[in-house]
Amino acid sequence: MAPFKKMLLKADVNKIYDEEYQREQSAKDEKFFIRPSHQRKMKNTKLFSIGMGIDLPFCIIILVLLTIGTIMMFSASYAYSYYTQGDSYYYLVRQLIFVAIGIAAMVVMSFFNYNKLHKIAPIVLGIAYFSLLLVLILPAGDGNVKRWIPMGLFNIQPSEIAKFAVILFFAHWASKYYNKMQFARYSVIPGLVIFGTIAILLYLEPHYSGIVIIAILTVLMLFIGGIQKKYLIIGFVAVAAIVGILAITGGLSYAMTRMDGWGQSLVYTDEDMWQTTWQTRNSLYAIGSGGLWGLGLGQSRQKYLYLPEPQNDFIFAIVVEELGLVGAAIILLIFALLVWRGITLSLRAKDKFGKLLGIGLTSQIGIQVVLNILVITDWLPNTGISLPFFSYGGSSLIMLLAQMGIVLSISRTANIERK
Amino acid sequence: MEDNSNPIKTTRKHVPKGPNQRLRQRTAILIIAILVFGFGAALTRLSFLTLVQGSTLQEAAVEQQLKDTTLPAKRGTIYDANGKVLAESASVWQVVIAPIYLKTDEQREAVAKGLSEILELDYDNVYKKTQQESYYVVVKRKIEVETRDKILELIDTLDEKYECGNVIQLLDDYKRYYPHESLAASVIGFAGSDEQGLEGVEYEYDSYLSGTPGRIVTAKNARGTNMPFQYEQNIEAEDGNNIYLTIDENIQSICEKYMQQGVVDNNVLNKGVCIAMDVNTGAILAMVTTDGYDLNKPYELPADEQSKIDEITDDTKKNKAQSEALSAMWRNKAVSDTYMPGSVFKMCTASMAIEENKVNDNSTFTCTGSITVSDKTMHCANTAGHGTQNFLQALCNSCNPAFVQIGQLVGMNKFREYYQGFGFSEKTGIDLPGEADDTFWAEGEMSDVDLAVASFGQNFSITPIQMITACAAVANGGYVLQPYVVSKITNVDGNVIKSVEKKVKRQIISNSTSAKLNEMLGYNTQTAGASSGYVAGYKVAGKTGTSEKIGSKTESSFGEDYIASFCGYAPADDPQIAMLVFFDTPSGGSYYGSQVSSPVFINIMSEVLPYLQVKTSYTDDELEFVDVAAGDYTGISVSDAKAAVDQDGFTCTVKGDGDTVISQIPTVSSKVSTGGNIVLYTDSNSQKETVTVPNLVGYSASEVNNVASACGLNVSFSGAASSDGVSSAQDVAAGTSVSPGTVVTVSFASSDSNVRD
Repeated sequence: MAPFKKMLLKADVNKIYDEEYQREQSAKDEKFFIRPSHQRKMKNTKLFSIGMGIDLPFCIIILVLLTIGTIMMFSASYAYSYYTQGDSYYYLVRQLIFVAIGIAAMVVMSFFNYNKLHKIAPIVLGIAYFSLLLVLILPAGDGNVKRWIPMGLFNIQPSEIAKFAVILFFAHWASKYYNKMQFARYSVIPGLVIFGTIAILLYLEPHYSGIVIIAILTVLMLFIGGIQKKYLIIGFVAVAAIVGILAITGGLSYAMTRMDGWGQSLVYTDEDMWQTTWQTRNSLYAIGSGGLWGLGLGQSRQKYLYLPEPQNDFIFAIVVEELGLVGAAIILLIFALLVWRGITLSLRAKDKFGKLLGIGLTSQIGIQVVLNILVITDWLPNTGISLPFFSYGGSSLIMLLAQMGIVLSISRTANIERK
Repeated sequence: MEDNSNPIKTTRKHVPKGPNQRLRQRTAILIIAILVFGFGAALTRLSFLTLVQGSTLQEAAVEQQLKDTTLPAKRGTIYDANGKVLAESASVWQVVIAPIYLKTDEQREAVAKGLSEILELDYDNVYKKTQQESYYVVVKRKIEVETRDKILELIDTLDEKYECGNVIQLLDDYKRYYPHESLAASVIGFAGSDEQGLEGVEYEYDSYLSGTPGRIVTAKNARGTNMPFQYEQNIEAEDGNNIYLTIDENIQSICEKYMQQGVVDNNVLNKGVCIAMDVNTGAILAMVTTDGYDLNKPYELPADEQSKIDEITDDTKKNKAQSEALSAMWRNKAVSDTYMPGSVFKMCTASMAIEENKVNDNSTFTCTGSITVSDKTMHCANTAGHGTQNFLQALCNSCNPAFVQIGQLVGMNKFREYYQGFGFSEKTGIDLPGEADDTFWAEGEMSDVDLAVASFGQNFSITPIQMITACAAVANGGYVLQPYVVSKITNVDGNVIKSVEKKVKRQIISNSTSAKLNEMLGYNTQTAGASSGYVAGYKVAGKTGTSEKIGSKTESSFGEDYIASFCGYAPADDPQIAMLVFFDTPSGGSYYGSQVSSPVFINIMSEVLPYLQVKTSYTDDELEFVDVAAGDYTGISVSDAKAAVDQDGFTCTVKGDGDTVISQIPTVSSKVSTGGNIVLYTDSNSQKETVTVPNLVGYSASEVNNVASACGLNVSFSGAASSDGVSSAQDVAAGTSVSPGTVVTVSFASSDSNVRD
């Protein structure tokens, strides 16, 4: 711990926290929408905190990722779109609409006083439960799974709402009972109840990768919220046991069929397996073809129907094929900057709720990026985790940008100015 | 473990932390977990895949992304010695459909209906093909221009009505044509549906003829259609090389014509073979296996044979019979079958005896009609015996007992040595597939009886090509050559890339022995006449042969099956062309080589030698029978005409009272024997005069001449008229009324008393 402590001390933000509690109290009385000119003093303004008061670096990183992501989504979907929709721009046009809506949502949310979310956190959780139940009632989609609620232009994925709801609720909970988080009934019990119920609903969809992400987010929020470490350890053991039991009883059959080819997609054993591992194998082919420098933007060959749905979860394989390891590393670096900036700015939020919410929302992106890359490189089973800012999809992109809007809103209150 | 609400209670070594410090610490852990471990793992994995496994993965990716389209190469042309085309490939097309693009049953029906009508295929079959989920289904191969045009029309119609014309594709292809159909079928062979050589030269020289197919390597998507990005590599097809045969189409057709006639005339049951070879180079000028097949339809059996096979009800047996019949039809008997050479082999036995100085002109051999060796009695064809003969007489008489004695003189070891020396124990190395091996007694297993029998060519078998090669060696001064059918190979630009030179394997007999044999065998034909290959105007050397087919089931009308053969060469004093004619199992009037094969040999040689511009050397005797073309004597005065006729060496008879000749018989340019009678008409009344054709069969040449001239008719002699032959046929039947001076062709065959083996 010591070196990290030293590192944060070096960042010299310590004294901010001492005044935190008072600010927390005063923030509750603030208006629904923030008026930055009133809220923020413009003294000692640094390059990265000018303008409307939002954290500009974070905003720029988001826009850069969004731009790269959209370009790559277009490149990856070009051929698939042509062959399946008869129009190469099919996915691009739709994605651009989502981007527009998403940016609008982000801008709106950046002006939204996030403290108001304190009160509606349980309501959002309720909406999440409702949508998770609703999707189970609606008719099943492709592959007999119930993951989407059709909404005309795009589909809403209840698990996306659930992810946000979990982060929001635990940020609310932990900031409210921050001093009691070491007690199991304030940390372990709500964690188990909320995760357990959501997991059951996701299990019925089924959406195992959703369960995994919800689990990680729950643990993450409880961890930064102040849960005692022994509970976490007990929790890990318990989860492992449950998964083990499910695996033995065969309840994990859907995931298992996807896991079947895990790690052996390049070895031909039989025709069925060869078909099962088709997507992963072609993802590896794409990544391998990229090499250090890539084939060049738009030059992917694997996107010509070899890699199924290249605009979705496996988009990063096409990115590596076209931009190479160098391009991939740069994109990962930008993601890392996003995570770093998001977390550090959240730490400077003037209240605990903002800190926890901001850290949760930015971490979620980092976690999804890591899981996505491990899936497309065949280190994790092919479970369907999308890549933020890159993967095609209406509801997730809009949700994502709205959440980024919340982080930006938090950044308005963060004491970023340095002496 | 961290009790932040009450730092005083803490007894652990940790420094008490406030809520903000705990959050900071845990956030630090979180950042490390995500950025260091998470992103680190991701980047490590990506680096491993791109840098370490990159090339392997890329290879696998490229393999599935590339489409290889083969561009067929045009197969080379086969020419005869004079540059006439014997086999040629022409552009045709292949109809391919991509039924996966068909969406409705209506489209499928339209495509199937159109294609089945144009291509004359079964509708149901084509319809089934249109139902396949495939991008490449071959409907029909090798369609010609007219059909292609119809298909193109169909594509247009389908496009208009059903919007599915793009389903049908026409791909380039080639088809093999054989303009001379069955000519030299067994030599040329044929190419299969994929343009691969299957028989004969087509098979043997396939690597030269086939060329190198080109490739178009394009990137394809997972559905097999082209990707729209630049990744295309074309390798042009390299057309096959052209092959020039030593076979001369003219000689080949002459041989085939007479061989076929010989087969019919003698009711030959098991095909006939004729090989003509340039004795000085070993080049094969003609090679015939009778009952050839149309190379354009190599899988079509003759109708009668096919109907016989069709009668078989059992499918397995039927298929077996079918394939056996086909391979029998394709078989090149000249190189793939063996036979017992019989008396023809005596030319070899004689050669070795002379070479080894075991005999000379004065050696005498006594024949009592049979000879006994180790208790085994062998008979001579002349059962009465030839009495005492010198060496030349023994050869001319083809006396078996004499040759048994000659063989004994040579001795077993020498005999075997020469047998091998003449090339009988090895493959000749001719550039044709399927050459058979001889069958001879193994070293040490040959008995005296075997030697005795072998001396006159029985009980061992050799291939016809071995026999003709040995015969050429006897004729050309003793050089055993490697026979060949391909003289040169040229590439597409006409440059010679391979040219075959004469290849001498060894000299087996000396020039003088060869000259001696030429003289003896030449004398043989001169004296024996038609029965031994006599060709008027040329000195021909040759030897007849009649061998028993021992061990085979008798099929012919005779007590046993025979092979009637004749092997000879011309001219005897300067050999140029050697020829072997043999008929396997004649079942007609005769089975003797002298009666079955010799006339065919004579007929062929009579046409081939003039074609080869071999100098004639008529004897005075022969000149009498040489035909001369009648000149034009009409339109001039009778006296002038008489003078002209006289000058041309004819006699004339003037009919009518006119002053000028208004017509003549024989007409201008018709062949009339020297000294023939030209009838000159001076008025129209005289033209109504006729004479009755007498019987001209059964006479000697001079007798025929006398009878004919007595009637005022002209005679043209065919066959060996100058020897003591007897006329066997006339082309205008006895009793017919014809104009005086009409030319009657009289054929001569050998008399029965002249039959020798």
